[in-house]
Amino acid sequence: MKNATAAQKALPGQSRAPLMTKIGLALVFALGIAVIVLGMSGQRVYDTSGFSAESAYSAIYSLGKDVRSTWEQQLQPLLAALPEEQRTQTDAAVRSLVDAAWESAAPGSAKKVEELLSSAPENDRAALAYKLLSAAYLVNGPKVSTAQKKEIAALSDADFAAFQQAVLNGVTDESAALPPAAAKAADLQGQERQAMLMQLLLTSFDTSDSGDAVNALKKGVRDKAKQLDAFRMIANGEVSWLWQLIVSNSRTAVLVGIVIALDALLLTLLMLWDKSWIIDVKWIFILLIVDFLLLFQLMPLVYMVIKAFFPEGQFSLETFERLYTYSLNLDALTNTLIAAFATMILGTLLAFPLAWLVGRTNLYGKKFFRALFVLTYMVPPYVGAMAWLRLLNPNVGTINQWLRVLFGLSDAPGPLNVYTLPGMVWVLTSFYYPYAFITISRAMEKMDPSLEEASRISGGSPLKTLFTITLPMMMPSLIAGALLVFVSAMSCYGIPSIIGSPGRVHTVTTRIVEYVSLGQQALNDATGMAVFLMVMALIILFISDVVLAKKQYITVSGKSVRPAIVDLRSWRVPLTVIVGIFAVIMIFIPFATIFATSFKIDIGKTMFEPNNFTLTNWTTVFSRTETMNCLKNSLIYASVTATVGIVIACTMSYLLQRTRVKGRKIPDFLITLGSGTPSVVIALGLIMTMKGNFGINIYNTAYIMIIAYLIKYMMMGMRTVVSAMSQIHVSLEECSQIAGASWMKTMFRITGPLIFPSIAAGWFLIFIPSFYELSMTTLLYSSTTKTIGFQLYEYWTFTSQPMSCAMAFGILLIVVALNFILNRLTKGEFSI
Amino acid sequence: MATVTIKNVSKTFGDNVVLRDFNETFQDGEFVTLLGPSGCGKTTMLRIIAGFEKPTSGEVYIDDQLVSGGKTFVPPEKRSIGMVFQSYAVWPHMNVFDNVAYPLTIKKTPKSTIKENVDRVLEIVHLSQYAQRLPNQLSGGQQQRVALARALVAAPKLLLLDEPLSNLDAKLRESMRFEIKEIQKKLGITVVYVTHDQTEAMAMSDRIFLINRGVVQQCGTPEQIYNEPANQFVADFLGKVDFFKGEAANGRIVFPGMGGQSIAYDGPRTGKVEVAIRPESIYFAPDGELEGTLEAQYYLGDVDDCRVRVGDTLVRVIANGYEYKGLKEGQPVRMHVRSFMVFEDNGLLEQMLKIQT
Repeated sequence: MKNATAAQKALPGQSRAPLMTKIGLALVFALGIAVIVLGMSGQRVYDTSGFSAESAYSAIYSLGKDVRSTWEQQLQPLLAALPEEQRTQTDAAVRSLVDAAWESAAPGSAKKVEELLSSAPENDRAALAYKLLSAAYLVNGPKVSTAQKKEIAALSDADFAAFQQAVLNGVTDESAALPPAAAKAADLQGQERQAMLMQLLLTSFDTSDSGDAVNALKKGVRDKAKQLDAFRMIANGEVSWLWQLIVSNSRTAVLVGIVIALDALLLTLLMLWDKSWIIDVKWIFILLIVDFLLLFQLMPLVYMVIKAFFPEGQFSLETFERLYTYSLNLDALTNTLIAAFATMILGTLLAFPLAWLVGRTNLYGKKFFRALFVLTYMVPPYVGAMAWLRLLNPNVGTINQWLRVLFGLSDAPGPLNVYTLPGMVWVLTSFYYPYAFITISRAMEKMDPSLEEASRISGGSPLKTLFTITLPMMMPSLIAGALLVFVSAMSCYGIPSIIGSPGRVHTVTTRIVEYVSLGQQALNDATGMAVFLMVMALIILFISDVVLAKKQYITVSGKSVRPAIVDLRSWRVPLTVIVGIFAVIMIFIPFATIFATSFKIDIGKTMFEPNNFTLTNWTTVFSRTETMNCLKNSLIYASVTATVGIVIACTMSYLLQRTRVKGRKIPDFLITLGSGTPSVVIALGLIMTMKGNFGINIYNTAYIMIIAYLIKYMMMGMRTVVSAMSQIHVSLEECSQIAGASWMKTMFRITGPLIFPSIAAGWFLIFIPSFYELSMTTLLYSSTTKTIGFQLYEYWTFTSQPMSCAMAFGILLIVVALNFILNRLTKGEFSI
Repeated sequence: MATVTIKNVSKTFGDNVVLRDFNETFQDGEFVTLLGPSGCGKTTMLRIIAGFEKPTSGEVYIDDQLVSGGKTFVPPEKRSIGMVFQSYAVWPHMNVFDNVAYPLTIKKTPKSTIKENVDRVLEIVHLSQYAQRLPNQLSGGQQQRVALARALVAAPKLLLLDEPLSNLDAKLRESMRFEIKEIQKKLGITVVYVTHDQTEAMAMSDRIFLINRGVVQQCGTPEQIYNEPANQFVADFLGKVDFFKGEAANGRIVFPGMGGQSIAYDGPRTGKVEVAIRPESIYFAPDGELEGTLEAQYYLGDVDDCRVRVGDTLVRVIANGYEYKGLKEGQPVRMHVRSFMVFEDNGLLEQMLKIQT
């Protein structure tokens, strides 16, 4: 309608308007190109100004010098203590690492580094090599987790010396035993292993001033390196001040230029399609959303694919060949596929009967059970993993202890072991079957009951009806639910990281995270793994969104549907008992375990044994400033994500449901694509493209995390608002306009209040998963942007299980409270 | 074929009584219609007969066999009934042939017999050439006939139809109405038909049960129900009718709302009464009993719909074209009431109007 009025207004100048628009578009396009050219020439000046990587290193090095000064004295004796032969080997290993690190930081610099080292006096060479390596790692080094640093810092003096010695030995000798703090490196081979060990060694020298100082320095170096040199160039009279501006922002300029030019092109295409040549304000909104998604979602993903197939700028499958001939990765790959497939089968086999019993029979306590099964959906998976680990630990697992007593087994470990592939499948299933349950029961509720009644009256028994009518008609939803379980289990990081890592059961996601922590060189390998995960996820997204959607039998009738209830008769009590036992095993016992563990001193004994009950876990955890800071971070990031997300969701819903504007499906498509991409892949893409190499540097900031959460969870909010808006007939709005209300007033007085419950629900649906997110946070956090989910993971892995249980229960309470608020706010219409 | 006997059947959902003391026998080969406004309990009654709902109390017999009541409950699949649902309930994942063959497949009938029977019923409902189609390739009317064929294929003794025509357009509805009636006559089966459309009920039924708020208001042939309504509700539900409050005494009924004008009455009632008059049973006559002013008239082609002010009351008159010739709006007229119905003024009307608005 807006189009029509705009068109009428434009009538008098009709002949001129399209021409003006075309000229305008051409000008915008030209502006974009001009900015690109400017940026590129800035880059060229930068590249050819004689300013070399070398001078950047000196700048970086001078920044890093203060931090490094302490270890120089420590390194010398350590190196001196090595036997002659090993010292030479270590030197060579360090030299090649230095080359590799610099080469990946600034292509072409390895030669310069070599020159630098060669020109150094013989006896200073080793120290200089370490300094250079240290400086390079400052910028692009493997990520040593804070927890690992803490562990190193906590070592006694003797252990510390032994640690350094062992690590240094490990650089040249792959069979050498490694201390526990270097456990991660034990899984690696070749240069990866050397890099990781060297970083650990270097880290061990400065644990005293580790953490924030190093992080601040890293960031400072990244942000300032270019500017520093631009200033230096001006000082030397090499470039003017205008060039300084362009040189120091050349990549940003190129990026902005590309976006402007792309927008102009896209707008032109939309107008050609619309055949109107009149600018519709709605396009501006569409372009804004599209720009955001192009920059932060599509560009990282595309870059990753390119990196995987063109590792050195030329097409090569070398990355994949290397990755998948490495037995560790091959295991990870098969583990992932087996685990995801087994979880899918098991989860669907559980979900379908449960959905049917709860939705379609006269089972006792149906509503209660339903709420209970859906509850699991909003619990962070890693909390469940923690609980099952407490229950099924081969040595001290509660269930194992019971079983041993029950069957009179010896005190040997077992009989069950969670640190195995089946153990992981079990935990994955217990957390992902609700996905299938929700999908299937939603479809069951929508099914017209008379379809089943028609079978009954035709002579089909309830069981026969279930198999000939209900099941075949459910099939598309059943498959969709199963695929959802598959893709969720496949992309899950929380559970494999807690259960798989200690048991050495690697998956693709844990491998990606490990590779990322190894630094620049390994990023290419991480990409290779990520591309596999992404392709699998997108294929499944395509199948369930396009192929299955067409097969979905639309059976929604106009009448309000009261599903036909099957009388279980004599099976009613036994089935209720079975479902009850299932709920106790799946939900009650794990949560009770978490709760009980949080009060224990010795986790091997029960809470009720003398001197084993304590509140200190709770008081310690929740009185630490660090925990509180993490909690604050989580709350802030999740609120910002949810608020920005819901604004975009409402805008999109309006565009999709209330307008026919051309191109409204483009952002819709991108948002769906984003939510279907595995978390780890999104985070990896952002890491690789958002550290300044493309003109945007938000690495290690809160923005990168919020953006990642948005990409992953925005669709949850959008779907909710879209479906609410589709249920409000447009006549309600038209009626308000006829009554004289402006568009704004109609939105605030009619549409807004009607869909408010859904907007609130959408907000919470984005907030809750962002609040306890782990997979993306693991890759994106910095020491100042840690979230409660990651803090919990660290506590679990490195500090104390009872304390982390206290924290986990705290998170659960918050999530349940949020759900309660949501339920109240929307008058019971929504809860998760 | 089959008789259906319903003894004292009541049904409540929580506190909500949807059916109260239903007592009736449907005869063999009879076409019975349960008629009433939505939410009156007619569909519940049908679903109790089918076995989809259990009566809260009372018993249902099909052919003298107890199917619902006490501890006995025969599930729907054991009742050998055919049923057509309002939404047709044609299974979208089976083609027309498989849909129709389903009841026979369940009975493990030999393949050749199935083919023969399905072909026969598809012939009856004129769908022979669509046997291999999927339901989403059929129109609403065709889907409806698939549902009918499926209900008929196993030669049930009893056929239940739940508003089968309400989703069809007017033309199709009319032709299907006669087709269903024809099939029923040809096969001689007992049919229980649920509808809220009075025309449908009148056209097809041997007997109509008019139900309101869970209670049978009247049962009888279409003529009986139309001409001799048992109460105000029945009178109002079928056809057009206006109610006037009056006072019966000395062989006349006086209407206070019409400035005290009266009409002759030789019935048994005295005191406060409610008089139901159908607008088509009033005609203009120079010697009419009632006098008023013609306030408005609407030309409808075959008839004229007039409003006449009598005292403080507006009286609706549907007059034949020739009766009003020369009449002008604002002109005084006299009218005669050909027939009317007199009910006790028991407040039922107010109650009823309350529900309807």
